[in-house]
Amino acid sequence: ADGKRDVVDPEVRAYVSSLVTALGGSGADEDGRYVLGDDALACLRDLKRWLKLYDEKANRLDVARCLAESNLVGGDLLQILAAWPENATDDRLKSKIALACLELLVPLTWPLSKDSKEMTVNHHRHVPYLETAQLGYKRSIINFDGARILHTAIRCALPPMAVDMGDRSTRDEGIIKLLLYFIRNIAMIAPPPNVQYEGDEAEISRSATIDAFDYQDVFHLLLTVSSTIGEDYNTQDVVVLDILFHLIKGVDIEKLFLDEKAADNSKMDELVRLRKKEAAMLRNYQTNAPTRHNRFGAMAWLQREDAKMTTISGQAAVTDSSRGLAKMDATKKFKPPRRALKGDNGPMDFDTPVHLNVQATKHLREFIEEFLDSGFNPLFNHIRKAIDREAERVLDFFYLISWFLEAERVRRRNKKPSKVQQSAVSEEVDSYSLVASVLNQEMFVTLNRAMDYTFEHKSWQDLSAAMKCFTQILLTVQDMLESPLEDDQEIAENILNRIFYEETTHDRVANITRTYKDQGFGYLDSCTELSHHYLRILEQYSKQNVDLQVRSRRRVRRKKKAARAAGQDVADDDIVDESEGEDTTRAERTSHERKFEFKRFAARFLSQGCVDTFVTFTAYYNDLKSSQLKRAHRFFYRVAFKQEMSVMLFRVDIIALFYKMIKGPEGLDPQSSSYKEWDEFVKQILKKCTRKIQERPELVVEMLFSKINSTAHYLEYGYEKQTVTTK
Amino acid sequence: AKGKSAAGLGIDEEIEVTRKPRAPRVKLDEHRLLSNNGIPKLRKKAKNLKFKGKGHEYSDASRLLAFYQLWLDDLFPKARFLDALAMVEKMGHKKMMQNARMEWINEGKPHSGVH
Repeated sequence: ADGKRDVVDPEVRAYVSSLVTALGGSGADEDGRYVLGDDALACLRDLKRWLKLYDEKANRLDVARCLAESNLVGGDLLQILAAWPENATDDRLKSKIALACLELLVPLTWPLSKDSKEMTVNHHRHVPYLETAQLGYKRSIINFDGARILHTAIRCALPPMAVDMGDRSTRDEGIIKLLLYFIRNIAMIAPPPNVQYEGDEAEISRSATIDAFDYQDVFHLLLTVSSTIGEDYNTQDVVVLDILFHLIKGVDIEKLFLDEKAADNSKMDELVRLRKKEAAMLRNYQTNAPTRHNRFGAMAWLQREDAKMTTISGQAAVTDSSRGLAKMDATKKFKPPRRALKGDNGPMDFDTPVHLNVQATKHLREFIEEFLDSGFNPLFNHIRKAIDREAERVLDFFYLISWFLEAERVRRRNKKPSKVQQSAVSEEVDSYSLVASVLNQEMFVTLNRAMDYTFEHKSWQDLSAAMKCFTQILLTVQDMLESPLEDDQEIAENILNRIFYEETTHDRVANITRTYKDQGFGYLDSCTELSHHYLRILEQYSKQNVDLQVRSRRRVRRKKKAARAAGQDVADDDIVDESEGEDTTRAERTSHERKFEFKRFAARFLSQGCVDTFVTFTAYYNDLKSSQLKRAHRFFYRVAFKQEMSVMLFRVDIIALFYKMIKGPEGLDPQSSSYKEWDEFVKQILKKCTRKIQERPELVVEMLFSKINSTAHYLEYGYEKQTVTTK
Repeated sequence: AKGKSAAGLGIDEEIEVTRKPRAPRVKLDEHRLLSNNGIPKLRKKAKNLKFKGKGHEYSDASRLLAFYQLWLDDLFPKARFLDALAMVEKMGHKKMMQNARMEWINEGKPHSGVH
């Protein structure tokens, strides 16, 4: 830059760049090899001091900017690290220098916070530049030709890692943390949203990161640390969690676990599917498109009452009155003021999908499977305890649990076909103990507390992650019920039993669903998903037949007897002494009681707020997957037919939405799988609606408004709900 | 004061700058909704609403939607159908509207209160 308009104090720049120059360099005399300067170690330490004492203390970022401009990372640090050969690990000076390089790399790649309260003028000046520079760092680190940089970095920390946890010094712990933070930073750096990265995206994409991590043995490191956490490592848990989060956020699990051949097929299928969708859109347009040129100039009159006329131009109005009305509507210009949705696309965003290439998919899948087998329980158990001790950032914790639980479920499902063939070895059916650490009572307590806290403090993203976590736990429990292992079944039954009678959880789920306002689509998706599965699973539980309950009681009794026979002291339980007949009557009573309980519970979702949330969700129908559409369909079906409060859906905007979904313009694709069930449902609703209007003319007015429950009840049944019992 | 202004050729006289007040924005509020053109008219017109019933669900729905759309277009021409619906819905939470709504519902109820 020219000296006059420099953004950095020239003196600072002079000092820093002289240090960078003194560090070393390559020249023709040494065949282009990099040669260290005489006092390289001291230079590195000086640079570190500059970063610390000038940038950090004065909160300026000037030195970081100078270092970015002088290409310290690509030109010097990486060269120095690359020149540390594997067989020279014992060389003390070289390992010291390597460590000093790492100590510089960590602050340089540290995520730049954009907390508006702490930002100074300097931050605003430097942050955009530094963000791009960090992308460059990442690119050169993971794609470095001469050596495996990340691997070298790990080597820096190997000696301290070899020491027993009790014997490590603070410095040793610090080095291990430094290394993990370095890896975290590399995993975290990504092009900021709404900035176009000028270089090759593929070089810094998630796929490239995963490939590099696999090639440079970072995955091994992560597995080692996470599987022995609590024994060999203690304070490193949160960093590991962060690394995992930035590796897997947004990755589609279904795609991850498809094998390669199926993946190829599914790609072809996807292309076909997308082409079909596009064709459907075009067809939709063409049925409504004008059949003559655009200056044909047709004009229609719409005769209104009181001898009024409305004119509509274009042919649409001539052929079809409803299209004419749509055209009349479309020409209006007025827009009511509206607030924008709160979307978050920062580094913590996990709703944006990420695509991986074949290679990276394979590597990541291998890693995930190994992690589930060895590292999941220790790591998450350890972190849960840490969170219980002191509340800290829990977003990625819950998100990771939900992600890994889903991964585990998908993995099991994909394994099944081969299992059936070799049913002889059914002994080998593995239990759910691999993920047991997140299914215990303590976890539920933590999760409930987190949901309460985040809901109260309006941190919607955290709440969304917690809801995802809860959903996945429910789904896992449901899978466990079908497990062939008795222990798994018993655990699952116990969990369901507890959830079923926990009123506070019911209230919370219903409340969250009811109060959706403008938290963005990701949140909407997780809260509708949670309430869908919650309702569904509890309904199944309430319907659980008498048979099953008798069987489970019999099981318990058998166990108790066995325990008694073994001479153990068992507290006298009523179950042991009952006969089969008593079992049946008792089971019948419980199942009856449960049905009633469920009905009461499901009624909480009848409020207008819940319906509105699902209506907002359904309004995205053209972008929803079929599973999401199914979710909305089941909810409305439940409201209208299972609980017989279709009145809640009789509002003009809801009816208009349903009508549009089927009849267009821009409706659902008639060839799609969900079209049929929606068509059926909408038809039923419309039929009910017109019949109701004829039955109760008051509904014509009430259709404009949200109804409170008593009004809705009157409209539905024709009499007021009896709330006060007369004596 | 009059004499002075005559001497000074009216230069000193303050000129009153009168800006024409901006025309008030038309709003879809509860008064408009309760006026003759509003919900009373909707109720009157609804008596002419006829449905064909079974097998004609979609054409019935389109007739119903057209009925509401034309009514809203008369009442508040500048807003689009769905926007206007949202505005009306919002008005339904007002005390005045709620009272009116209760009255309309009670009119429809059978007069004998025996169930």
